[in-house]
Amino acid sequence: MMNYMKSEQYRLLRKKSLHLTSLVCLALIAAAAAVLAYFQRTDPTFPYGTASFYYSNLLGGTVLVLIVIFLFNSSLTGRDTDVLKNAVSFGIRRSTIYWSKLLLTLGYFLIISVVGVALMIALGETMLATDSGSVRNFLTALGNMAPIALSAFFFIHSMKMMKVGDVYVFIVLLVVYGFSGYLLRIGAQKLDAFRTLYDYAPDTLLGQNMMAFMGQTVQFNAACWVTGVILSAAAIVIGVTKFSKQTID
Amino acid sequence: METVIQTHQLMKTFKDVQVIEPLDFTLRQGEICALIGRNGAGKSTIFKMLSGQLIPTSGEIRLFGKTGNAAGEMRGRMGFLVETPAFFPNFTAVQNLEYYRLQRGIVEKKRVREVLGIVGLAHEKRKKFREYSMGMKQRLGIALCLLSHPDCLVLDEPINGLDVEGIREIRNLLVRLNEEQQITIFISSHILAELHMLATRFVFLKDGAIVEDVSKETLQTKSRKQLVVAMDDSATAARLLEQAYPDIDYRVLPDGVLAIHNHIDQSGDINRLLLTNGVSVTEFRVEARNLEEYFLGLVGGEPA
Repeated sequence: MMNYMKSEQYRLLRKKSLHLTSLVCLALIAAAAAVLAYFQRTDPTFPYGTASFYYSNLLGGTVLVLIVIFLFNSSLTGRDTDVLKNAVSFGIRRSTIYWSKLLLTLGYFLIISVVGVALMIALGETMLATDSGSVRNFLTALGNMAPIALSAFFFIHSMKMMKVGDVYVFIVLLVVYGFSGYLLRIGAQKLDAFRTLYDYAPDTLLGQNMMAFMGQTVQFNAACWVTGVILSAAAIVIGVTKFSKQTID
Repeated sequence: METVIQTHQLMKTFKDVQVIEPLDFTLRQGEICALIGRNGAGKSTIFKMLSGQLIPTSGEIRLFGKTGNAAGEMRGRMGFLVETPAFFPNFTAVQNLEYYRLQRGIVEKKRVREVLGIVGLAHEKRKKFREYSMGMKQRLGIALCLLSHPDCLVLDEPINGLDVEGIREIRNLLVRLNEEQQITIFISSHILAELHMLATRFVFLKDGAIVEDVSKETLQTKSRKQLVVAMDDSATAARLLEQAYPDIDYRVLPDGVLAIHNHIDQSGDINRLLLTNGVSVTEFRVEARNLEEYFLGLVGGEPA
């Protein structure tokens, strides 16, 4: 597994598109802070020049977060998957391929995420109006968001390894992370069991997390972790099982 | 002699269509075995099952005597080039092979340059894979197969897209690897004349089943040069020939046609002998079947 990871790392470090994506993400974070700070200084009545509003853009930007996760994961699972036949014919186990790609892209994503969050906090606290609990609230809300975002990472990885088309990947992501709560709420009108599921739907939890953050009442939410862990486990089990039997050519 | 590849009742179906009939096949160390069949006969499917790209529907694959996960590990002793070579389009040849050198845990860094030299790509330092011609891609594919000093090469159409000189170079390389390093080679190609020059064993595949498995010697015997004589009285002709040439080697084909395998350089004398003794000859020709004609005779079809 170490040899396979070394080779994938060799490739990952030479992916210009991945480095560009990272730079664009960090630049967008800086640009958002600069724009808010500019309007705060030029218009005294501007209500959004606060660190809390700045942080809420990340917490409420589910679609943007999904796109970034997709781009990071695709760096090792994109169109180059036809070379997988070489690795398989060298006797490298499919599970090794699945996990190596997952761990490397996830590691890179987590590093950039930590840098991005640190940059956000640094810019938010120095350029924008702050209150005493904004950083703590932001980190707590991120802690609630993280398991659900990671489960999306695992879902994308499994679908990409199964050669599911990009359009279908996005449709599945939007249904699970964007509309599942809405759909379950409709279902709850006919069947009570859907009511419990609705409480644990990713978009329900992300919405609640965002509202709690804005109301400065955010707390650690175990439901986010329950949902995140269940979705992650499901994504990984499906991915590993399907990929182990998949035709590779 | 070590058994390199062994299949037992290996079978593959795609959506209820059986593309590979239960297959029993053995490849021993040092052989150069040609797998010959039409498009769709199942050659690539067999190679893909051997390489692990396709999971067999049933049956067993043994590589160097090992099955299951252990057989998977034995693939590390083999080099596979199945269908078109696949590499990273934005990488150069060196970068692509460096990636696989790391993947296979090959310590010697110079090995990348060595194999590129062997296949004639050592001078292509800056060109990216996406800019390569088909022939160059094939050469790089062969270089990848050689990277880890394999004991066996499985090559599916390796000379596709190569020019005449390239084909000769690859043929000479494969022969050299086989003779000097006893590397076993399992190869397919539609250029049968090349296979004829290269292989020591020929396996003919039709509709997913092996229809013939012969050594080079047997194939030469079966497809050797012969004098074909059609006449009105084959019994008399045979008696006359046996009297004139006691060591004559002939077969009686359907319709009383004689196929004579020796004394072919004396065809004029044979013709005269038959005519002067009242045998009316209606057809008289020298023919030799090459591998292509032999193959078409087996699977049914007309020579091109």
